[in-house]
Order: sequence, then C-alpha cells, then structure tokens
Amino acid sequence: MTFIMPEVKEEQTKTRRKLYMELENCIGCRSCLSACTQCGGHEEKNRNYVYDVNPLVNRQTMPLMCLHCVDPACARSCPAQAIQIHETGAVLSALVEKCIGCQNCTIACPYGIPKFDEEENLMYKCDLCIDRTKDDIPPMCASVCPSNTLQWLTEEEIAEKKQKHELDNDKWVTSLPHLEGETHVTVNLPGILQGTTKLF
Amino acid sequence: MQRDKFFREIENVTHPNETLVKTHCSYCGMQCGMNLRVNTTTNKIIGVEPRYDWPVTVGKMCPKGVTAYQQTNHDDRILKPLIRDDASLKGTKEGFREASWEEAYALITKKFTELQDNYGKDSLSVFSGVSMTNEKCYLTGKFARVALGTRYIDYNGRFCMASAAGGFLRTFGVDRGSTLPWTDIHETDCLFIAGSNTAECHPTSMFRVWAVQERGGYLIVADPRETPVARRADVHLDLKPGTDLALANGILHLLIKNGYTDEAFINKHTNGFDETKELVKDFTPEHTSFITGVSVEKIERAAEIYGKAPNAIVMFARGVEQQHKGVDNVSAYCNMALVTGKIGRPKAGVATFTGQGNGQGGREHGQKSDLLPGYRKITDPKAVEHVSGVWGINPEDMPEPGVSAYEMFELMQNKTIRGLYLLCSNPAVSAPNLNVVREAMKGLDFMVCADFFLSESAEFADVILPSVTWSEDEGTVTNLEGRIIKINKAQEPIGESKPDWQIQIELAERLGKGKHFSHLKTAKDVADEFRLATKGGNADYYGATWDKIDEQDGVFWPCKDKDDKGTPHMFTDDDNKFYHPDGKAKICALPYRPPAEEPCENYPLRLTTGRVVYHYLSGNQTRRIQFLKDMCPDPYVEVHPETAEKYGIKHEEFVLLYTRRGKSNYKVKITEAIRKDTVFVPYHFGGDESINLLTIAALDPMSRMPEFKVCAAQIEKLESGKVL
Repeated sequence: MTFIMPEVKEEQTKTRRKLYMELENCIGCRSCLSACTQCGGHEEKNRNYVYDVNPLVNRQTMPLMCLHCVDPACARSCPAQAIQIHETGAVLSALVEKCIGCQNCTIACPYGIPKFDEEENLMYKCDLCIDRTKDDIPPMCASVCPSNTLQWLTEEEIAEKKQKHELDNDKWVTSLPHLEGETHVTVNLPGILQGTTKLF
Repeated sequence: MQRDKFFREIENVTHPNETLVKTHCSYCGMQCGMNLRVNTTTNKIIGVEPRYDWPVTVGKMCPKGVTAYQQTNHDDRILKPLIRDDASLKGTKEGFREASWEEAYALITKKFTELQDNYGKDSLSVFSGVSMTNEKCYLTGKFARVALGTRYIDYNGRFCMASAAGGFLRTFGVDRGSTLPWTDIHETDCLFIAGSNTAECHPTSMFRVWAVQERGGYLIVADPRETPVARRADVHLDLKPGTDLALANGILHLLIKNGYTDEAFINKHTNGFDETKELVKDFTPEHTSFITGVSVEKIERAAEIYGKAPNAIVMFARGVEQQHKGVDNVSAYCNMALVTGKIGRPKAGVATFTGQGNGQGGREHGQKSDLLPGYRKITDPKAVEHVSGVWGINPEDMPEPGVSAYEMFELMQNKTIRGLYLLCSNPAVSAPNLNVVREAMKGLDFMVCADFFLSESAEFADVILPSVTWSEDEGTVTNLEGRIIKINKAQEPIGESKPDWQIQIELAERLGKGKHFSHLKTAKDVADEFRLATKGGNADYYGATWDKIDEQDGVFWPCKDKDDKGTPHMFTDDDNKFYHPDGKAKICALPYRPPAEEPCENYPLRLTTGRVVYHYLSGNQTRRIQFLKDMCPDPYVEVHPETAEKYGIKHEEFVLLYTRRGKSNYKVKITEAIRKDTVFVPYHFGGDESINLLTIAALDPMSRMPEFKVCAAQIEKLESGKVL
C-alpha cells in the first residue's frame, strides 16, 4: 500500500482546517449533494448522501460523508493500491489507471461511501474536493451548507467545540475522539446544546 | 460592512479559461451571493462558485441556488417569439409557430389597438411578478399606465407579500420587510418565528437561527407542522391553520398581564394600547388554547420567554400572511414588539421572510394596482404629479387604481378585461381556485406572455415573447432585509431572447408612445429614471446608485441622496420613531375571525399548502432542473398516521383529495410531524396536480391576499389503481 506521507510544517498544522459535522443542525436540504456535483472534478455525480432518520415520524435528517479515515478500510481492501491518501489526509477517489473495478472498497467501508460506476468500471468516492482543500479552501459541501451542519474549521476551533460539548456530568459527551477508527473528519453525536447555559 | 463572526476571507477557485461574475441567486428573497462561472472561450455560464465575501450568506446556498445557473442555457429555453393562430388550442402546448419579433410586435400592436378601440383603454391588463429587477418592475408599471394607458395592472405579490405590506403600513406607516439587517439575527436572544418553514423556504437563514440557540438564546416556532426549524424549537406552538390572530392576541394578553410591557416606550412611541389591552383581555391562555389547539403550558412558556428576552426578533412569513386576515395577523404579531419596546434598535425588531427575489422592491415601485414608484399612492395628487413629471405625461392622463391580482381574473370572466400582457408569473399554477383562473385566461380575446420557459400560463397565450433569465441582464433587486443589491450580467441573451424592459420599450414605440420610452437604451438608463421617480417617496432609492451598491455591499432604503449611506436599522430615531405623521406606531386592537371556511361534516380536514426546499413558486423553473426534479418529482399529501388509519390509507398510496372547488389525486406521505386535523400539499406543480385547484379565493379585505393557507377538505380512499 502506498501512502503519501504528510510533510506538513508546524505552522501549517495550526491553520489547516478540517471538516467538522454537527449532525443535529441538518435540515435535509441536500445542498451538500447538489454542491458536490458542482466542484468541477466530480463528473456531476454526488459523492455524499443525506438520510431521513425516521421519515414517518419526524423531519430529522443526517448527512453521510466520507470521514477520511487515517487507516481507511477502502484503501486497505484495494488489491491495486488505487486509493491514495493525500498529504492533507484526504482519502482520494480511485486512480483511473489503477482501479480494476473489483468493488472491494464499496463493501469494506463501514459507512458505504465508495460507489461503483458501472459504465466507467470505476469506483468513485469523496476526495474532500482536494483541488480546493489542498489550498485550505473549504470543500463545496461545507461551503454551501446553509445550516452549518458541515463546517470547515481549524484544530483550535474544533478543540473549542469539543470542550463545550464535554459535560462534567458523566452523561453527555457529544464529541467523540473517533468512531470505528481514527478519522480526519470530526463528528459530533447528538446533544450539542446540552452544555449550553441559557441566557436567562 | 456588517462583516460578522461567520465572515472569512476565502479565495475563490478559478479554473483555466474561466472567469467569475459576482451576482446573486435568481430565486427567493434571501438573494444569496453567488459567483457564476463563465467560460471565456464560449462566453457561456457553466457553473457556480460560492461567494464567500457576501456578508449576508457568506457562500451558503440552498440546492436551488447551487443549480440556478442551469436555467440559462437549458434546452427548454424559448429562443424566438411564438405565435399561435388557432385559438381553440389555448390551454395546451400545441399550435405555436416561430415568428420574427417584428411579426409578433405587429400582431400585438394590432390586437391591443383593436381591443382598446372597441372596448376602451381598460380592456387591457398587465399581470406581472417580482422575481425580476427593480428596473423591470418599475418599467412594467410605466408600460401599463403610459404605453397601454390601462388601470388594470397588478402582480403576483398579491399571492406573496401583500399582507405583510398591509400590516407594516398600518402598524409602522412604512413597509420595509425587516427592521434590521439579517446579520443581527444570530445575536438576538429570542427568535419568535410564526408561519415560516424557514429551513425549506429560506434555508440560508438557518445558520444564524441555530446560532441563537448555540449562544443560549431561545427559538419559538408557531406552525401547524413540525417543520425542520420547529423540530429544534424550545417551544413549538403547533396551532391549527388559520388561528394565528388568536395566538398573537393570547401572547399579548400574557405579556401585558405579566408585566413585560415597556410603559415608557408605549407612551412615547405608540397609539392604541388601551383599546388593544381591553380587546386582548378575553384572550386568556385557556381561551387562546381552545381556538388554536395549542396547550396552555406552551402559550404561557412562549410568552414568558419572549417577555423576558433582553432582545428578540418576531419573524413571520406566508403561513400567517396568506390568510383572509393576513394583514391583521401581521399587525397582531407586530403588537408583541411594540408593547415590549423590542423594536427600533439593533438585535430587536420585526421581519418578514420575503418570498420572491424582489418581493420587497417589486411591491414598491408601481406594479401594484394602487401604487406608483417610491411607494406612492396613485390616489395622492402630489404623487401623481411627481411621477407624471418623470414620465412626461399629463397628470390627468394617469389611470385610476385598478383591482388586485385575483380580482383581475374575475374581470376577465365578465369580459371587462379582454386582453392580457403576462410576464414573470405563472398564475395558472400559483393563483387560488384555479378552475376559475384557467377558464378566465382561456376566455380572453388576446393574451401575450413574456417568459423564458413555456409555463402552464403561457399555454393560454396567443403570442409568447422570449425573455431572458436573470443572468443575461443587469439591474438591482431589494432583498428581504430591504438592502438594494446588484444583479450582474454573466452572459449575452441566448437565441433571440430580450430583457423585459427592452421588449416593453420596443412595444411602447410601436404603440405610438415612443417619446416616453425611447430615451431608455440600457438597464442603467432605466435605473436612473427609476431612482428619480422614487425621490421623495417613502421607499426613496434616489441615493442608491449602482456604484454605491458595489462599494457598500448593498444599500438599505431609504437612501435619499449622494451622501446618505442608507438605513440598515429602521426606527432608531428617538423622537419621530415611526412613519405615521405623528411619528408613532399603531398598536392594533384586532378581534379574532375564524378562517373563511371551517371544517364541517363533509369537509372535516384543514388543508394547508406551502413549499418544499427543492422548488420555487409555481415550479416553472425548478421542475426543469434535473437535480431538483430528482429530489422532488411529484406533489404529495402529508397525513398524520392516526388520521391515515381512520381513512384506512397507507404510506405512498394514492388518494383523492377534494374541497368545494376542486379535486386531485396525491400520493400519501405519512408523518407524525403534522397536526391530526390538518393535511399539507406543496403547491409547485401544474396541470391536474396543482393543489390550487382546491384552494379558496377568500381575500383579505385590505391586502386582497387569498387564503392559501387554510380551507376545508376531505380525503377519499381510492380503489387500487383508480386515479383521476
């Protein structure tokens, strides 16, 4: 497996932003899907998904985005080393010349992110709009998200969020360090307002 | 200006052979900033890039905004004028042939002249819209009154903002949709949002709404449905459709009773408090709960939060306005801000979520049957004199006031109106009681429609004139804050399409009125005449030059002269706070009236209508965009599971939904997020799927707004496979 190891300078790590998600903010507008088709390098196919959590009951929705795992199952399952990891940590879509269309990755990913294009015989997945994010420009999904479900934040801003969300009551911890494995995207569990003190 | 905590300096991505054109969205009153990507070889619009530097929306867009650019070079665009010789085909897409502009103009001139010779000036009418620039809106009013010389002009704002306008005028003496800039919203302590499905209809407001709660502030939402914004409200006032007036009176009762009033403010800045206090005495929480169906506890909690909040903003939208007491609802919700003094300063005030892109500017400048540019009354001789001077006509030639949008269709039915020039609107889908409206259009002697897509209304026309999309012209729009902004041209008009202002000037010339129009060669020429026409009016745009708009990220009206930077916050003057002659606002005593049509044995359900996030108004634009169509291809009826069980109907099954006026088949969508006594259908769809076949044309006595938001309905389970 080929890893492009990050060589990031100390000062860059401070300003380098990451995708951060507050799922409770989601309003189900699917702007993130429409924006994903518009990045210019995504062949107008969206590579993120939004689900109705309980459609017969309420209007809660949630985005399903690639979490850009540090040790990604999709890349590990690839026999052709077609899935590369960018120096920013973004797990890229399959290299056209390497992908053999075996679809291992579509099954390996616990979140179901990689999809298979039958016509092109090629896997495709979120590359975190690498053309943008390599220069610290937010990806299209986080750029347009009207509800701030998807945000593009610095490490400091994420740390501040985490601190706010970890209550000293042994009950609510809405910021998890990581889910199944370590990821480059940070996700909050529900309960983001539990630590908020009301103004009056 | 107004760069807040959400603002970040971000460089845009540009691809090779591309340039970015800064502009705003074509759709709703949010007018989100966007960059259109233009290929420098083909000079065609090919995509969108966020506009991070727009202070209101900082790059954010809803799915309609992201895909808006796909309208411009869409395969469905009308590229040449179309004429239909066989009138028996009216109401269908059939029988149109391509024609030259000259042939189309000649036919229109001949027919319009014949009709006016035979039946008088007022046999012609203009029905317009406000999803277009101020320049176009202004010129349309002038076109109707000077080129055609008819009194009958009105516009689709009667189905949108007319009640907000009426309520604001009565209460404050001025109609600016928001008393503060949108950049204040996240800094307030309490949002009281009534009848606004904000997350779907104005999605890019949501990051500011959620931020209020993040700061520890409160969110109160009044809506018959648990919409995505109501889902997270601290208090969801789940009222019966059409009972807002009782709810607002009930909250006011508690604000007064529990001592949340600001006596000094009331005494200095308002009239009508004592009378109103007396009237709302009856609206105890129990009585209010009985009418609205909202629990006593929720009403009390909402009043307590709003009362205690140091700063609060009352916001509302079509849910409260599209009722036959819409104006009263607006004034009643404004009462809350007036009795507590939570208005006329930063972070506290009142705002309506303007529906159409230029719903604010478009209603101010002379498309309304009784208004002239600058929000002047056509019945005011001084106003007539000023505008006649700008237009170069004799004041005595200014037509009388006409009638409201829906009433024009009634006049078409009785042949008072025989000809129609329709633009920027699709009333064959968006008007209420559509069986009547469609018959009225079918019965016209002659109809012209200017549009860029062949809408359901264009199907009734004899001549269709190809107009341009927003991206092929320039001009100003006034967004929901009251901020005048600039729409920029990104591409030349495709085919032979022309901007509406140019079409109207060329038609005016052929109708022998060239001397009033021919000096206008560009959109900028129209803008300069328009600013002059507004000078001295309530909505004074005279100082809002295009240069100033660019320099300041928009200009809030009123903006009276070159040195005036505009008015982001309204009513900040401590002496003459409001716009009535005495400088005071009116606290209005408003007796409750039930909806025009209450449920009964034969029609036991309350039908309410609204939007979905994927479509805009009648859907003439958004139903053609593949992404949006894929997300919401068809209408549906939302039904509570307990109600569904009573009728024996299941999720995704087709049912017949009917009222006293019409019927249609809809697929059932079961959800607990709606009242048991209420069903909901989105209104964006044409043909047999239009829910407006069922809605009622009960009009507000002041705004002439139809009661889209509530009527009595019944559901019938269909035998499998049987549909209309």
